[in-house]
Amino acid sequence: MKLTDRSWSPYIAGILIGLLQIPAFLLINTAIGTSSSYVTVSATLAGFIDPGLLRIDYVAKHLSGVKNWWQVATVVGIALGAFVSSRLSGTVRHAVSPVWSRVLGTSSLRIRFLLSFASGFLLLMGARIADGCTSGHGVSGIAQLAVSSLVTVTAMFAGGMIVALFLRKT
Amino acid sequence: MSVFAAILIGLAMGIIFGFALEKSRVFEPGLIVGQMQMRSFIMLKVFLTAVATGLIVIGILHGFFGVSLYPKNLLYGADILGGLILGAGITLAGACPGTVFAQIGAGYRDAWLILLGGLAGALSFSYAEPSLKPWLLSGGPGKVTLNILLGLPFWALAFGFAVILIALLIALEKWRPWTSEIGANADGLQS
Repeated sequence: MKLTDRSWSPYIAGILIGLLQIPAFLLINTAIGTSSSYVTVSATLAGFIDPGLLRIDYVAKHLSGVKNWWQVATVVGIALGAFVSSRLSGTVRHAVSPVWSRVLGTSSLRIRFLLSFASGFLLLMGARIADGCTSGHGVSGIAQLAVSSLVTVTAMFAGGMIVALFLRKT
Repeated sequence: MSVFAAILIGLAMGIIFGFALEKSRVFEPGLIVGQMQMRSFIMLKVFLTAVATGLIVIGILHGFFGVSLYPKNLLYGADILGGLILGAGITLAGACPGTVFAQIGAGYRDAWLILLGGLAGALSFSYAEPSLKPWLLSGGPGKVTLNILLGLPFWALAFGFAVILIALLIALEKWRPWTSEIGANADGLQS
């Protein structure tokens, strides 16, 4: 297991992610999560155009304070960590994964980019309705034995598998 | 703690998180779609290992040192509806809200559009939240955790749950070794 390896065991990666709960709980007084950072960033930007947005309680709660900006920093860190890791192993990726031409039955980049935008919209609309994503509900919520997280993660895998039925087999 | 210190801690934690996501390849759309099509199990392996580790860590922190928990409100309608929409998004994006950033770091261009769509989705939700709140996002029994429902000590249930997950992972690995699922180009695709 070297930093220059292209892949590590999923168990090592899972343990590392699970151990990140220690600094999250002890230093930041929260659990690992990623999806509320999208509210912090989008509302901060949109607030310049529509200051009225900032008066919505839900938005105001996401704009200031240690936890919100810690989470924004975390997602930026994820991109940096993945960048460094891929450079160390010399792994180069195409513009899009080859899986898309297989499961969508088309190699059109325009279709993939449209679907990417739409799926990103669904990701965050869903995560915000459920109040968490694979990190906040999945990794953190289940590890806290939260019933809401067990319900959300079950629905999440169900939703994902139903949609996967409409894709082509690879 | 100052916001500046929190940002430094967040960056450091994120870099480790991003490393783990990139090295495990779980950020690969081929692995996410593969999991949802039940032909690859690396996503489940990373996910359940992270949960099992978290159960042990939080079992110790909360059970023995009294560190607070942060469970989310139980709202059946919102949890099920939100979970279903989130899951649909995960399959079509080939990513979760967090792994999108690992895709950006690793060089997938479409991840930038997933990110833009995600920001638009979060902003749309923010505008809709006041009108969704009365019927979808309020009420419910509160922050319910399994240990309270079952009347067991948190640490005991957490450790027991972790043991079950570890046994499940050992069986899963025997059935489908991860090295056979990763693919020649480490993107979860068999050629």
